[in-house]
Amino acid sequence: MFGLFTMHTPIRRCLQALTRQSQPTLSLFKDPLSLRLLSSAALLNHNISSPLLPIFTNSKPTSAFGQWHHGRYFSSSKQDDHIKEGGTHEIEDEDDDSDGDDDDDDDDYDEEEGDYEDEDDDTVAVSSRKKVYTEEEKEAEAEAIGYKVVGPLQKNDNVFKPYEPAFAVVQIGSHQFKVSNGDSIFTERLKFCEVNDKLILNKVLLLGSPSQTIVGRPIVPDGAVHAVVEEHALDAKVIIFKKKRRKNYRRTKGHRQELTKLRITNIEGVEKPLNELVEKPSKSAKKEREKVAVSA
Amino acid sequence: MALRGVWQLKKLVVSFSDWGGSSRGIRAFMESHLPAFKEANPQLEVDTEMIRGQHPHLKAFYKNRNDRVVCVKNMDPEEILLHATRLRNALGRKVIKLRTRHVTKHPSVQGTWTTALKY
Repeated sequence: MFGLFTMHTPIRRCLQALTRQSQPTLSLFKDPLSLRLLSSAALLNHNISSPLLPIFTNSKPTSAFGQWHHGRYFSSSKQDDHIKEGGTHEIEDEDDDSDGDDDDDDDDYDEEEGDYEDEDDDTVAVSSRKKVYTEEEKEAEAEAIGYKVVGPLQKNDNVFKPYEPAFAVVQIGSHQFKVSNGDSIFTERLKFCEVNDKLILNKVLLLGSPSQTIVGRPIVPDGAVHAVVEEHALDAKVIIFKKKRRKNYRRTKGHRQELTKLRITNIEGVEKPLNELVEKPSKSAKKEREKVAVSA
Repeated sequence: MALRGVWQLKKLVVSFSDWGGSSRGIRAFMESHLPAFKEANPQLEVDTEMIRGQHPHLKAFYKNRNDRVVCVKNMDPEEILLHATRLRNALGRKVIKLRTRHVTKHPSVQGTWTTALKY
């Protein structure tokens, strides 16, 4: 019986002839699964007894009607793609048989539109390509594009000074910020730094203080802004919803942006005024003056 | 996740199940990656807890008394390490959309501009 299946074209012709004789209205001859259904229905309804029609119960139509030659192994994880390109053709042959059944399963895009409230719904592709930056020079180059230089990790330094009246306009990547001592900034995720790392931001476009302003063309060469990485976190989930009305087209995609929070600690390159601007004691000084004035 | 040099994640509780198949990844994580993670973060208190009949999760307790729970069922050990690292890297603040990307207490250095200002 199985011997008949290996030569598929004569079987098809035989089946076609038989089904044409019995049921002239039927016209589905291409799909092997539907063929199987038709012929079984034909058997049941019209009691065709012929030695040529085999029993379809245990057949594997995919193995009978030709093998799918996958050049690539289709899997959801990108890592497997890379692995399969390297070699291991043994596994490919096993999977060729099972992949033939899956052609009908990928039609519908039924995604659950469930809870988008919590922050922990993201599925991470861990198998996304991890480029190994073996040379530290490469890291330095990549950071030069982002205009930051990583200093050593923090130890017992007193980096967090009180507020100084000086500001700088700093560029990180494609975003520019007007920055002062003690500010925090959210940038796109900076790759080569961990939490509690010191950074020096090179690209300083403007420096200012109450007494002096320095405008860069386009960068101030001696200007430097020191910052500390506070956190690497994900932003809240944004749902990207696409719809075309009356066209049966609706797509939902969730996206969380990866951000880095930097705290600015020091601005170098400007004259800072020597008077200490302290806010709280000034209030108490004012009270003392009032008291003195009242008493006097 | 360090506010002015102070680590914000106090405690990480790794909950898993002995028997369940969804805990397979986290059991492998506990053998392979967890000791290294503990050593890399000496300031962090890492606990393991066995909960039978439930899916595994990571609970993070932050200094602002906020906690985050991440369900790690059916995940690979590498993915679980990624989630644990993310919890360690984050502050305990609520995950809402950012209002501004620049948070400052002193918006002006040279004085806020007004129409009456003359240079």
